[in-house]
Amino acid sequence: MDSFRTLIPYLRLHQRQYVIGLIAVVIANSFSLLPYYFIRLTIDGLTGQVDTDPATTGITLGTAGLYALGIVGAALTSGAFMLLMRRMIVIASRQTEYEIRRDLFAHLQGLDKPYYDRARTGDLMNRLTGDLSAVREMLGFGAWQIVNIVSGFVTAFAVMFSLSWQLTLIVLAIVPVIVGVLTYLARQINVRHRLAQEQNSLIAAKAQENFSGARVVKGYAIENREIDDYRAMNLELLRRNIALTKVDGPLRSFMSLLLGLAFGVILLVGGRLILAPDSTFTVGMFVQFVGTLERLTFPMLMVGWITGVTQRGLASWLRLKEIFDSQALVRDEPGRTDPTLRTMTGDVTFENVSLRYGDRTVLNGVNLHVPAGTFLGVTGPTGSGKTVLAQLLTRSMDPTAGRVLVDGQDVRVLPLRTLRDAISVVPQEPFLFSDTIANNIGFGLDNRDLPPVPTGVSVVGAPPPDDIPQQPDPARVREAARLAGLTEDVDGFPQGFDTSLGERGVTLSGGQRQRTAIARAIVREPRILILDDSLSAVDTETERRILDGLREISRGRTVILIAHRVSTLRHADQIVVLEEGRVTEQGSHDELLERGGHYAQLERLQRLASDLDADDEAPLDPEAAADRLETAPTPEQVTR
Amino acid sequence: MTRPDATDAFQKGFDTQLTRRILHYVRPYLPLVIGGVLLALLISLAAPVFALIQRHAIDTYLSPLALGTAPDRDVLRRGLTGAALLYMGLKVVEFALQYAFTLAIGYLGQNVLRDIRADVFGKLQRLPLAYFDQNPVGRLITRVTSDVDAINQFITGGLVSLIQSSFIIVVYVVIMLSVNWQLALISFTVLPVLFLATNYFRARLRDAFRETRTQQATVNSKLNENITGMLTVQLFGRERRSALDFNLSNRALLSANENSVKWFSLFMPVVAVLGQVAVALILYFAARQILGVDASGALAGAITVGTLFAFVQLSQQLFQPIQDLADVFNNLQAAMASSERIFGVLDTDESVKDRPDARTLTNFEGSVEFRKVWFAYDQTVTADTPDTDDRWILRGIDLDIRPGESVALVGATGAGKTSVTALVSRFYDVQRGSVNVDGIDVKDLAQHDLRRHVGVVLQDVFLFAGTIESNLTLNNPDIPHERVIEACRYVGVHDYILSLDRGYQTEVRERGATLSTGQKQLLAFARALIQNPDILLVLDEATANVDTETELRIQQALTRVMQGRTSIIIAHRLSTIEHCDRIVVMRRGRIVEQGSHHQLLEKGGYYARLHRLQYAQADAAD
Repeated sequence: MDSFRTLIPYLRLHQRQYVIGLIAVVIANSFSLLPYYFIRLTIDGLTGQVDTDPATTGITLGTAGLYALGIVGAALTSGAFMLLMRRMIVIASRQTEYEIRRDLFAHLQGLDKPYYDRARTGDLMNRLTGDLSAVREMLGFGAWQIVNIVSGFVTAFAVMFSLSWQLTLIVLAIVPVIVGVLTYLARQINVRHRLAQEQNSLIAAKAQENFSGARVVKGYAIENREIDDYRAMNLELLRRNIALTKVDGPLRSFMSLLLGLAFGVILLVGGRLILAPDSTFTVGMFVQFVGTLERLTFPMLMVGWITGVTQRGLASWLRLKEIFDSQALVRDEPGRTDPTLRTMTGDVTFENVSLRYGDRTVLNGVNLHVPAGTFLGVTGPTGSGKTVLAQLLTRSMDPTAGRVLVDGQDVRVLPLRTLRDAISVVPQEPFLFSDTIANNIGFGLDNRDLPPVPTGVSVVGAPPPDDIPQQPDPARVREAARLAGLTEDVDGFPQGFDTSLGERGVTLSGGQRQRTAIARAIVREPRILILDDSLSAVDTETERRILDGLREISRGRTVILIAHRVSTLRHADQIVVLEEGRVTEQGSHDELLERGGHYAQLERLQRLASDLDADDEAPLDPEAAADRLETAPTPEQVTR
Repeated sequence: MTRPDATDAFQKGFDTQLTRRILHYVRPYLPLVIGGVLLALLISLAAPVFALIQRHAIDTYLSPLALGTAPDRDVLRRGLTGAALLYMGLKVVEFALQYAFTLAIGYLGQNVLRDIRADVFGKLQRLPLAYFDQNPVGRLITRVTSDVDAINQFITGGLVSLIQSSFIIVVYVVIMLSVNWQLALISFTVLPVLFLATNYFRARLRDAFRETRTQQATVNSKLNENITGMLTVQLFGRERRSALDFNLSNRALLSANENSVKWFSLFMPVVAVLGQVAVALILYFAARQILGVDASGALAGAITVGTLFAFVQLSQQLFQPIQDLADVFNNLQAAMASSERIFGVLDTDESVKDRPDARTLTNFEGSVEFRKVWFAYDQTVTADTPDTDDRWILRGIDLDIRPGESVALVGATGAGKTSVTALVSRFYDVQRGSVNVDGIDVKDLAQHDLRRHVGVVLQDVFLFAGTIESNLTLNNPDIPHERVIEACRYVGVHDYILSLDRGYQTEVRERGATLSTGQKQLLAFARALIQNPDILLVLDEATANVDTETELRIQQALTRVMQGRTSIIIAHRLSTIEHCDRIVVMRRGRIVEQGSHHQLLEKGGYYARLHRLQYAQADAAD
């Protein structure tokens, strides 16, 4: 129940709808009992039992007509309130679902890299879909059903009691039995349904792995064994489904059996009441009694389900709450963050920076100064900490020890917005969105002045959302694409820059993805530009063009370029070699060649590889050569 | 999250051809069908009896007293008891019938489901590898899951309720007409309205529901994309724009949901009101007849209170079958679309087929010959395609491999190395020339026999759900545990397996995510050894991180596995290549150099240069 309390703020937003809806349930329930009252009056009138005096002469056709109209009127009223209820409560639950989803999305946007490193996308998706549905079901269907059950029982029993207390006592004895049996069945159905579902998933998984592993299955000629296996699993599914059918299938007829038995008992006892001398219990009353009891069929069925719906809903809400409760480590903090800092020149300093993940040291006392407007090249084997260096600068995470300074200010003092507006990163494996190429390039443009999506407020009465303003300036997008060497590719696409990427559009090659990411970075004209191994899938000729373009726009900007190819790095003002989280070599291209260290070796290998290229049309990728150098075991790996 | 399959239509009209094929699957269960139909008939006959008993009880035992025509209270009481007991007894019988019917239909549906699934799965097993290259796994899964389910729905939900509902409607109509035809006709007036209303609302609801599914899919894919790309969003300061964009989709989903709630909230009350309108009509016209104000006057008193009550009951009970009948059509459309897709799979031509007179072999010497082999993955390339066409992957390969010889294939990516190995297993058929094993064209051999004797070792051992042992034996119960252990010892992975929680019975999780690359490679060798092939194909892509110790172990294992077997190895590790009897250098689908390691080094060609580069790297690594 404690978990329910945290849901209350969301319920408050729709207080009015829930209250009106729940009252409507009660009214609808009461009116739904009226038709049987009119049937009773008609029957009693027709059998001359208007009162105990047999001399009274029944009813006129006019009265009967009025009763008939009464039935229709009652049904219309009940139906109208039922409609009102659904439009209040069920819609409110849908709106709450929207609000929770909206707020979760906003919260997720505030979480940082450490959180996303731990969280699995599939798990988050499950919570945002399955768990959210379960919560919504509890709020909509659950809330309505609970009130429906309670008010249904109360009104029905009030009517039945007014008709005959003796019969009502019998019903009171029978109903708990029926509800008990149905609740038991509901639980059985739940259990067996889950078992069947599990087997179903197993079978789907079996098909999945069999199809993706077709090469192995065929390679070892085990098709027949696989088919047998699959058949056996299907047989088990059949068994489980039949087991489910045994409790699930006849539920409705079982209900009808139980009610039928109840009716038999009531016929026995009620009939005797009618036949008793000086009876005040009429045939019409009997019919009304039976009819009212029948109205309870659905509420009785639902008692068993409602506990399941509530339990699932509460458990799911707890899982959503977990997301809401997680906090970002990297964030602006009042007191530390200085909101007056708005601009930067791009002078970067790493001051004795170390980073540890658990007991693994990723960076170890790195000292580095990159004056504003200079070009830094970084190289080193995989896992040496190159990418992490870039991530510390953008504050994707904070260092364990030491400081990262921009313009002499600790990055933790700078507002995240200011810092990230001034820096553009081209990551190793760029993530592009399924949007147009223009929008992907203009990804970081014109985002500053957009209004936030308000959270924690009710959607009721909110105007429909406006279209999002400002498409990126086409001229800027084109220019950035030109500098990134992407124009020719884009012009070859069906809709040019308006071509969509991803499932419903074109699929870009690795090199095209990287160049799109470069355009996306440079279009923002950042003070600091970081290229993290972002030319690896681009051929040498294109690379040269891009580097020329970069030089053109990077005048006055700080550029940090992480790469493996010596040809990429050679023009840097300063080159740094990282090994095992330490700076092991530092200097210009010529200086490092003279030192004869890692960098010089890299240069020699790449020269050999390109010799091989020279007379071969299907060249060995020099990148692969560099990779192999990197993947050669380090002493640390060997001893591990 | 399921994405709408581009080729999947939601519905399709009725098709006799398809229905006949579906019914073909029902035929083996004819007794169940006949039993089910008989039960449905009995149930339909039993259903109206209850209202008639009530009518009898009211008219004969309960009303006479009030009407002043009572014979004797004791007689009435006895009659009443009889009626009540009969009623309860019949209820039990009805339940038994209903239960038997549900089970019969359950068995029928599940068995048909199982048969269709087995057929589709079996067919997919026989289809050539090329089919899997062309069809995404997700789509194939849909065929054996939701498509098969739709057919099951059609049989149990569609055909059965068609039969059952029709029976009930016929029986009720006959009985109501025979009890009182005027009242019957009056209560029937509501039914066409009900049928049309149900049909109308179901169609609206289906559209609304489809719209919510589409919107839900959009929301889900945006969520997925934003979660995966959240760090990019943050780095580029796009949070607000993404939030606004997501809000648009989220609101669209809300509107779609509200729309379906609106239709649904209208549907239920309309049905309920229609029900009560029927009651009111019956009430009024019954009263009219009872009160004898019928214009003719002849019918006065012909109707009783019991009849009135029975008609109220009967007319309500007619609602369900009418609504079910309106649903049948929907089920049918979905089933037609699904069955078309399923039969599409079943009708796919198996391009790589066993000849009717395919030769079976129990043992191989293990010689492999390529005779002027030209091959392209593209099925539209034929023997007549000109030599200059870009799509040729192999261009006139001639290769003779003696039994027991080990051959290393060397060359750049795209040179055709993998294709050579795929052709030995006959995963594909060649366009020109022939691939012979022991001097017999692989096309003349039974695929199963051929592949049982050709073992493929992929670098990334594909692990199935199950234990380590079941993955090594590939679920073959005939392989003794000792042989598994022996093989694992031989390749040096035995100790590692024993170090796991449950040794050989350890469950493999998430495709072996917890295993290192080296361990996977060793398991792959062990698997190949246990299957004991005569010809071994090894695809050894040395791109992954492996420490020297493991590297050494893999090396040893490979040498041991190769011993005494014809082996074709796609190798990247120099050490592996050097140990082979022969090295074949391929470029652009042709063999450009071949010979032993030393011969090729002396020749000073491509291989020699490659060797020089790799040694330079090895030096650098030290």
